[in-house]
Amino acid sequence: MLNTVLLTLSMATPLVLAAMAGYCSERSGVINIGLEGKMLMAACVSALVSISHGPVLGVLAAILAAIIMSLVHWLATQRFGIDHVISGMSLNAISAGATNFMFTRFSDPDRSGRIGTLPPLFYQVCAIAAPLALLVYVAKTRGGLWLVAAGSDPEKARLAGLQPDRIRLFALIATGLFSGLAGAYLVADTGVFTDNMTAGRGYIALAALILGGWRVGQTALACLAFGFLSSLNLLFQGTDLVGVALPSEFWTSLPYLATVIALAGFLGKQRTPAGLGKT
Amino acid sequence: MKQVVLIIACVVAFIGMLVLGGISPVEAAQTLFTGSLGSPRAISGSLKETTPLLLAGLGVFFALRAGLFNIGIEGQFLLGGFASALVALAVPGPAGLLLAMVAGIAAGALWALPAGWIRAYRNGHEVITTIMLNSVAVALTDFLVAGPARAANQTGATTATIPTSGRLPALLNSPPWNVSSGLLLGLILCGVMAWWMKRRVAGYELQAVGANPSAAEFAGINVRKVRLNAMLISGAIGGLGGAIQTLAFEGRFYQGFSPGYGFDSLGVALLAGSNALLVVPMSLLFGVLSKGGTSLLILGVPKGLTNLVAGLVILISATIRYRRQAQDA
Repeated sequence: MLNTVLLTLSMATPLVLAAMAGYCSERSGVINIGLEGKMLMAACVSALVSISHGPVLGVLAAILAAIIMSLVHWLATQRFGIDHVISGMSLNAISAGATNFMFTRFSDPDRSGRIGTLPPLFYQVCAIAAPLALLVYVAKTRGGLWLVAAGSDPEKARLAGLQPDRIRLFALIATGLFSGLAGAYLVADTGVFTDNMTAGRGYIALAALILGGWRVGQTALACLAFGFLSSLNLLFQGTDLVGVALPSEFWTSLPYLATVIALAGFLGKQRTPAGLGKT
Repeated sequence: MKQVVLIIACVVAFIGMLVLGGISPVEAAQTLFTGSLGSPRAISGSLKETTPLLLAGLGVFFALRAGLFNIGIEGQFLLGGFASALVALAVPGPAGLLLAMVAGIAAGALWALPAGWIRAYRNGHEVITTIMLNSVAVALTDFLVAGPARAANQTGATTATIPTSGRLPALLNSPPWNVSSGLLLGLILCGVMAWWMKRRVAGYELQAVGANPSAAEFAGINVRKVRLNAMLISGAIGGLGGAIQTLAFEGRFYQGFSPGYGFDSLGVALLAGSNALLVVPMSLLFGVLSKGGTSLLILGVPKGLTNLVAGLVILISATIRYRRQAQDA
C-alpha cells in the first residue's frame, strides 16, 4: 500500500511539473506541444552538466536549456507567426535529434554508475510547491490576472492596454523553468540519461491539463491519476491478476490508453482557454 | 529579412554542433554525399529509404490538407506492416500478396480510427491521441512479435520470413541496381492523389475543410465527416506503406521495424506544402539524408543528426511559408 503511494508520487512528480509548465504556457494562449522536447533537452543537459560540474549547476543548466527552447517557441509563434503546433513539433524533433547527438558525443562511454544529482525529494517538494504557488499567483495577483486575460481574449487584453506577447514571453520563461525541473527529475530518479527517456510524459501532462480543464488543482489530480496508472506497471508486472500474467506491454500502454480516453472526453468536460493559439 | 536571419542562425547552429562534436563539416558533407548518391548501390539504397517515406509522407500530406496533423503515421505504418506479414505468411502466392496489402491498409485505417473520431466528434486534439496511439502500437507489435506471432525457430523477436512468391517483385534488379516496385506504387498513388485533390469535388471539400473549417461548414460541407474520413484514409495510406515495407523489402516483421519513418514523413509532408506532387522530391530528399546519415554513423556522427536536420528544416520552411502568407494578406 505504502509502496503504491510512494511509486505514484514518484511517477506523478515529472507529470505535475510538466503540466504546470503547460499551464503557464496554455493559460497565456500559447499551445505547447513542445513540452516533451523541453523535458528531454533538460534531462540531457542536466545529465551532462551534472557529470562535469556537479548537481547544482546541472539543474540550473537544465532549467536554462528548457528556457532557451521556450524562448525559441515564443519567437516562432509570437514573432514569426508559425503555427503553434508545427513549432512545438519541430522543437520536439530538434530535441530528440540534438540530445542523441550531444549525449553520444560528449559523454564518456566508459563511465558507469549513477549520475550524481540533487535528491529526488528536492523535485518532489517543487512539484508540491509549484501548483500551490501558481494557484495563489493566478487567483491573487495582478500578474496572474494578466496571464489569464492574455490567454482568454488577447484582442480585448490589448484594448485594455496589456501586451499579450510580452505576457506570453514571461509565461514561457515560467514554462521553461518547470519543464526544466521535470526533465532534470527524470535523471535524478533513474540516475542515467537514455535516448527518448521522457517516453511521452510531455504529452501525458498535456492530456492531464486538458482533463483538468486548464485549472491547477484538477490538473494536479489528473497527474496523480496518470502517475498511479504508470506505477501499476512496476507493481503488477509479471504477477497474475486474472489467472494469467498480463504482458508488461499492457501495463506500459495503460497511461497512453487512459490519455486517449481522457481526450475522447469521457472523463470530463473540456474547457479550452478561448484565446488559445490566437494572436 | 527575418527569415533569412533565422536560416543563417539555424545553419550556424548546425555547423556549430558538428564542430563541437569534433567532426569537420566538409568531411561530413562529403561522406553524406558519397554514402547516398555516390554509387549505383548507394542510389538504390537511397531509393529504398525513399519508398516508405514517400508512402508515409503521402499519408501525412493527405491529413494535413484537411487541417489534421497525423503524427500517428508511425503506429499505422507498424500495424500495417505487421498485419500484412501475418496474412502473407498464412496465404501463400500472389493471392496472399494482394490480401496482405488489403490487410495492411485495413490495419492502418483501424489504428487511425480512434484519433479521427475523437478529433471529429469529441474535439480532442489529434496530435496527442496519435502520439499516444503510436506508443501503444509499438508496445502491441512488440508484444505480439515476441510472443504469439514469433517464428518457431527464431531466437529474436521476429515473424517467419515470407517466401519470395508472396513478395512484391523488383522493378529493376540487375546488381548493383535494385529498385522495388513498391516505389512505383507510391508514385502512382501520388499521381492519383494530386489528380483527386485538383479535379474531384471530394478533394476540393477536403481542402476547404483544411483551409477554413467554419467557412466550409457554412458552404454545406459536413466538416466532421470529412475530418474522420481524412484521418481514416491517411491511416490507410500509412498502413499500405507498412505493408509495402514488409512485402517489398523486409520480408518479415520484427521489433524495431520502423526506425522513425513516421516522424521523417511529417517533415516530408510539411515541406510539400499544398502540392501532392512535391511529396516525391521531398521524400527523396529525406531518403537521401537518411541513407547518407547511415554512412555518417561510421564517422561517429550519431543518428540523431538527421532528426535534428528534419526539425530545423520544418521550422525554417514553416517560417518562410507563414511569412509569405502574412505578406500576401
